[in-house]
Amino acid sequence: MNTTAGILLVDDNPADLDLIGEVLSRSLCSVDVSSVRDGQQAMDFLHRRGVYASSSRPALVVLDLSMPGKDGRFVLAEVKSHPELRKIPIVVFSTSQAGPDIQGSYNLGANSYVTKPCSLADFVSAVTSIGEFWLSCAILPREENR
Amino acid sequence: MTTNKLHSAKPGQLQVLHVEDNQLDAELVARALRQGGFEVSVVVVQDEVEFTQQLRACRPEVILADYNLPHWKGMEALDVLRREDLDIPMILVSGALGDMTAVECIKRGATDYVLKDGLARLPEAIRRALHEKNLRRLRKQVDEDLAKKVDELARSNADLEQFAYVASHDLQEPLRMVANYTQLLAERYRGKLDDQADKYIHYAVDGATRMQTLIQDLLAYSRVGRPEIELKPTECDVIVSSAIKNLYAAVRESGAIVTFSSLPTVMANSSQLQQVFQNLIGNAIKFRGANPPQIQVAAEEKEGAWVFSVADNGIGIAPEHVAAIFTVFKRLHTRQEYPGNGIGLSICKRVVERHGGRISVTSNANGGSTFVFTIPVGTQAQPEGRFISHEHDGRYFVSR
Amino acid sequence: MNNEPEILLVEDSQEDVDLTLHTLRREKLANKIFIVRDGEEALDFLFCRGAFADRSFDHYPKLVLLDLKLPKVNGMQVLKQLKNDPRTKSIPVVILTSSKEDRDLVESYNLGANSYIQKPVDFEQFRQTVKQLGLYWLVTNQPPVANNGVRVDSLEKSHDHQ
Repeated sequence: MNTTAGILLVDDNPADLDLIGEVLSRSLCSVDVSSVRDGQQAMDFLHRRGVYASSSRPALVVLDLSMPGKDGRFVLAEVKSHPELRKIPIVVFSTSQAGPDIQGSYNLGANSYVTKPCSLADFVSAVTSIGEFWLSCAILPREENR
Repeated sequence: MTTNKLHSAKPGQLQVLHVEDNQLDAELVARALRQGGFEVSVVVVQDEVEFTQQLRACRPEVILADYNLPHWKGMEALDVLRREDLDIPMILVSGALGDMTAVECIKRGATDYVLKDGLARLPEAIRRALHEKNLRRLRKQVDEDLAKKVDELARSNADLEQFAYVASHDLQEPLRMVANYTQLLAERYRGKLDDQADKYIHYAVDGATRMQTLIQDLLAYSRVGRPEIELKPTECDVIVSSAIKNLYAAVRESGAIVTFSSLPTVMANSSQLQQVFQNLIGNAIKFRGANPPQIQVAAEEKEGAWVFSVADNGIGIAPEHVAAIFTVFKRLHTRQEYPGNGIGLSICKRVVERHGGRISVTSNANGGSTFVFTIPVGTQAQPEGRFISHEHDGRYFVSR
Repeated sequence: MNNEPEILLVEDSQEDVDLTLHTLRREKLANKIFIVRDGEEALDFLFCRGAFADRSFDHYPKLVLLDLKLPKVNGMQVLKQLKNDPRTKSIPVVILTSSKEDRDLVESYNLGANSYIQKPVDFEQFRQTVKQLGLYWLVTNQPPVANNGVRVDSLEKSHDHQ
């Protein structure tokens, strides 16, 4: 499976989107990182609607929880209940360490939950760890482009 | 003949409700009261219905009752009073009853008992009863005021803690942006701009990262007060091990040796108690002397509490500083000498006190310090039945 | 506090068990690992029944490593039952299998497996894989909350066990 892996980043913070995307691209050989800023855009992307009509389905989603409008919980609920989309692994990547947020994410079907560290070094390290595990250790269901 | 008029006392008058079927006796009582210096307005009733009616109508300050009436028992007036939720002193004015009965009546709620052929005592008895009632009223008022104040204070405290928590929590996000991106700036452009720029960036990064630690510590401090604290059986050897593992880098770097043996299981908030051990051990490592830190964690049970100690061979604390050391943000050294913002020990103090204990520090013979804190022995925590056998001799030894 | 293992390893191959245990301990990633040899035992363990009736649903392992090819009840069945029961559905389950079948891959994720890893044939690569998955699931990942009590933020020291 040597096709480029697509990763969808969902986060309302453009700085974080930038940084996560950069670290992932830097640490993995063939990744194609797409970014969206809220839950609605995420669903549009995954359903290839509107401006995202030509997007390809990602192999992995990295998802922030708290976003204005439709938030991470919305995306989790939508994706994990959809027959086609639910096999896509979703890693929740959020600053929240609150029990209810963590447990709630798992209850909604999140595959993994990683706390966004505050320090730059730990942040980079966490993103690298996510990228390395999901894209070179685990195997992900891939879909051929339509 | 009974008097059924609706009476209300004129100001300065004592309104009395008298349960008595004998008119002569009633008049004798009224006379005794006037002779005793009272200006009275007396309403006489004979049965429960009249009594209840007049209770509401004339609002007596004191009730006098004969023990034995043809249609009613005087003592039953007390039941009516209770039903109407009225605190009005009731004095029995009766023929000879015998001491046992008298005592019985008072036990059942009568304020006093005066013999019909000893009416001279009645005014005094009434004065005393009214005085006691007044005292009761005052005390109730004081209690209510106090309860209200306590309530307000608790609410105000809760508000403040909520504020501190939210402020610290919400400040973290933009702070993270500043800290991370100034650091990225530093990394990416180091050497590419002039020296001055490098210096500015360095100051910015330093300030931002310090603010981050400060906010995190403040959050930790304010979190200690939050109500979600649940006490659970906490195995201290486990949390001390965890604390040491969290300090892994510092332990390795300093060559610290931390020992502990057979620590108890206590009722506590595990993560907060772990924080206490982590702060104390971390401090012991940080404020080390020339030699590698040697730190002993021990516990003994004394007088209903577990007394924990963390002893080190570090630089110690001068006696004049001991009092201030647990104050929030109190630092004894400059940031160049030792990093940190002085909140760790105040967190320890807050956690320990919230568990009902006390924390203190003493100097050791070798110049180092021993921090001691107590956790009261609550319900004895029983570890759950062992499922997987697990060899553990209780000693944890970390070396370079 | 309890003696709940951090990892439940569901594996019938002794060789794979040995290598996995050895790697996890050497890398100091976990010290309490419980091994079951077939799907039925795995289900008994996680559903607190049979020989494991004294276990409680309140505490569960941080991670279940699940092979697919198992005697008695196969891995897919175990996965299905785990992920369909509210008491067990949030336990992280990582499929660790030699199967290369796309069908197994897709079905696992569809059933709610948290992750799917193919066992490398090569000895050294197997170790690397175990190390990497251990690092991710025991250190990077936040486990669900109803689990093991106190959280340890960093790597655990390895003890002798079993």
